[in-house]
Order: sequence, then structure tokens, then C-alpha cells
Amino acid sequence: MNTTLDINRLGLLLKRYFIENKQRELTFWGITTVVFTLMHLAGPQEKSISVEMFLYISGFIFAARTFKIFNYTPGGMHYLLIPATHFEKLTTAVLLSTFYYFAMILITYTIGTTLGTTIGNFFFESNNPIVFTLFYSHADIYSNSHSLLNKFIFFAEIQSVFILGSIYFKGNVIGKTWLTMTALGIIIAIIQISLMKILWGDMHFAETFNYQTGHLLGSNIKVLVYLLIPFFWVVSYFRLKEKQV
Amino acid sequence: MVNVQNVTFSYNRRTELLSNLSLKLEAGRIHGLLGKNGEGKSTLLKLISGLDFPKAGSIDTLGFNPIKRNPAMLQEIFFLPEELPQLTLSIENYEKVYAPFYPKFNSEQFNGYLKEFDIDNKKSMLNKLSHGQKKKVFVAFGLATNTKLLLMDEPTNGLDIPSKGQFRRMVASAIDENRCLIISTHQVHDLDSLIDSITVMEKHEIVFNQPIEEITKKLFFRVADRNDKDETVIYSEDTLRGLYQVCENKTGEESKLDIELLFNAILTEKNKIVKLF
Repeated sequence: MNTTLDINRLGLLLKRYFIENKQRELTFWGITTVVFTLMHLAGPQEKSISVEMFLYISGFIFAARTFKIFNYTPGGMHYLLIPATHFEKLTTAVLLSTFYYFAMILITYTIGTTLGTTIGNFFFESNNPIVFTLFYSHADIYSNSHSLLNKFIFFAEIQSVFILGSIYFKGNVIGKTWLTMTALGIIIAIIQISLMKILWGDMHFAETFNYQTGHLLGSNIKVLVYLLIPFFWVVSYFRLKEKQV
Repeated sequence: MVNVQNVTFSYNRRTELLSNLSLKLEAGRIHGLLGKNGEGKSTLLKLISGLDFPKAGSIDTLGFNPIKRNPAMLQEIFFLPEELPQLTLSIENYEKVYAPFYPKFNSEQFNGYLKEFDIDNKKSMLNKLSHGQKKKVFVAFGLATNTKLLLMDEPTNGLDIPSKGQFRRMVASAIDENRCLIISTHQVHDLDSLIDSITVMEKHEIVFNQPIEEITKKLFFRVADRNDKDETVIYSEDTLRGLYQVCENKTGEESKLDIELLFNAILTEKNKIVKLF
């Protein structure tokens, strides 16, 4: 027997999720399609930011519920005793909260945009083109490219943090995860400032932190951000492995 | 089948729930795990199934270290907890989702057990059933998984009187020489004539662990007259029907085991009883 990853068991875990949550899934994605339809009734204005905000916020709420079952001891016992490996259980969680969720947002967005624009054109006698702004790449004020892949990576980053939060904290996962992230951010910032002071002395940051150093730091931080995704998954795996109920 | 060696467990640093506990349980038996509230019976079941990890000592469950929660071990274990999970699934879907995880699951058996428990509608939602009804579904499912190890925590809690009888019959017919059932319970009368090995926990330790045949060989259970004086009496309880006594069996005569009386006798005269085994 494969004691790490068995595709059959992984399939059973996914099937379990969809059968247990069929009603909730149908309702949620139905509402999401309606929201995207309403957003696009008035035409193809810039909706990408609102859609992105919806993706990130609803996404982390979904991810924060991943291991909600542990809030209730009998539920946690039942889950841990399902004959599948911890790796399979975590892979299922990652697949659902990251890949499946993102794909479903894209599908409902595509349907919603098409429906909204078509209905809008019909009722308001306009002739707006169907534009999927979420799929287009745009640059922010720092000239960073916001391609669909970048949006997905940022989304995966948020999801990985909240998956870990959902297995680490019991109750009020969103609040506790945000607080922890804020605290960690402050600590990292303090370390960063201290390191810069050590490296460049007491000179004013405006003189030392020029465009080149900023760009160099930015690229390194981007790599670090990418690495943090699997890091949070690995930590979640070990946390799940040592979970007791 | 289950080998617990010098296990110590605590939920916090101050109080030890289980202390240096050792226990060996064989296949082909129905083990009754008895003890007062808070002695660690449920915790012991959780440790055996890998839901909790011992602080010291080792556990062997079906040849596996339970803390690894290996799927090969989990597919041979079914744990019926005292409090059941809240699942928004119909009985039919519960079977569809969870049965494939257990390779020896038998759907015909499951349907048969449900029928015996008078549960006809498999479309009923589990979260809409009463506690007793839900317990029946889980008992039926657990027996139909045909796992080598069945752990049941207070299985008769919430069952009505006829269902308790049905439960006894079903369990008795489902256990064979390859399966082991551990029942943790307070309701000793519900399991009279079902259990064939008794394990008693007291002060977070196993104080008694013997098969029924050994118990009835060494001890004699009787109802005696109040004036009857016998040197072999170890423990007695005064009731309206006379003195219920546990005596040393010196003649080798067989008697019907009274589990409740034995349990009280062990708690009161532990040393005298343990010395006989």
C-alpha cells in the first residue's frame, strides 16, 4: 500500500468534499455568478480591482474554514480517522482552497461578465464589448506586472497562510491569522531596519534606499514570497501530522 | 492485536491522566473497558487509534505505531465515539463517501443491520436524526466495515431498550476470531452476556484485566442469606433480595458473572481480588 500519496484515496477525499458540501458550493458559486453579472451590467469599465478584492477576501474566508472541523472534537476525530495519509488530506485542502477556488472564480467571472454585458446591452440598448479585464496584465505604480499568473501566485500566498491558520488556531481563525501576520510583519520590518542600519550606518534611509537597492530588495522579496507558499504548506503538513484531538 | 506498554499520558503538565499503563488485548474477543468517570477510558481508546499521542511508553495497534496514522492501520480500525460528528449527509451518501475507504466494507451487511435497527429510509439526513438513531447508523456502519479492530465508547448510550438487545445480537454475530472489539462503558448491564474479557481502570491505571472464563474459575457470584457466614466471601452488597456476594471459588463450581458486582468488588477489595489471579 502506498503510504504517501494514493491517487484513488485522493479522489475519494475530493469526492467526500463535494458530496458533503454540494448544497453550499452550488449556492455560493450561484451567488458569485450573480454578483459578477450585476457588476458588468453597466458596461466594461475597470472592474478588475473589485473582482480581485472579491477573489482575495472570499478566498481567505474559504481557506480559513479548511480545517474548521477541528473546532468540534467529534468532527476532528472523524476526520483524522479517515483512512488516508496526512499528505493526501493536506493536498486535498490545497487543491480545493487554491486551485479549485481560483478556477471557479475564473469560470464564474467569465460567465458573469458575458451574461452581465449581454443583458446590459439588451436592456440599456448599448453595444459594449465583452471584456475580461481580470485576465489582462496591468502594471502598478511601481511598474510591477499584474498578470493572471502573478494574481494567482499572490492568491496562493494568501491561501497558504490561512490554511496554516485554520489548522493552527481553534476558533476565530481569520482574526488570529491577521493578528499573527501583522505581528510577524512588524518583527520582520524591525529586523530589516536594524540590518540596514548595521549595513549602511546611521545615514538617512532616503539617501541609501534608492531605486536600485529598492529594486534589488523587491526582486529578492518576490522570490521569498514564492518560497513562502510551499513553506506554509509544509508547516501545515507537520501541524496536521501532530494534531491530537 | 493491541499492545500498550508503560504508557503515560496527560493533557497538561500538572495532572497525569494515564500513568505507566500496560495492557494486551487479543483478537476474537469483546473486551469491556470499565472504570469510573474521568479514569481515562476514552483517552485510552484515542491513544490506541492514534488520535492522541502518549507522553511516554509505546503502543502497538495491529502491528503499527498508531501515532503515524498509517492508512493501512486506519482502514482496519473503526472508532465509534460517545459524541457523534455532525454531518450534513444522508445515510446513503455517508455510505457512498466513506465505505470506499474500507476495503472489507459489506453493503449488504450494512443494509441488514439498518433493517434490524428499523431504519428503512437511507435518504434520511444524519443531522436530522435523533442521537439514538444516528448511533444506530454508525454502529451498523462500523460493524459492516469488517475492520479488525472496533473501538466503541459508550455504544449503548442513547439507544432505547429494544435497540440495546438488537445491538448485543448484532455485535455477537459480527465478531469472529480475527476481530477485536473494545467497548468502554458505564452501562455494564447492557453488555452482560456480551463481553468476554473485562478490563478495569482505577486511578488512571489498569487494575484488572482478565477473560470471563478465568474470572468465573477464580470467583463465585451468589445471592446469600443475611445470616449465612462464609469465609470465602470477598465482597458483598446488601440489597432487598439478599446479600449479593463475590466469593473465592474454591470448589470450581460455575456461576453467572455479575459485572456490576465484580466492578464494585474490584474497586473496594482490589488487593484481595488481584491476588487470586
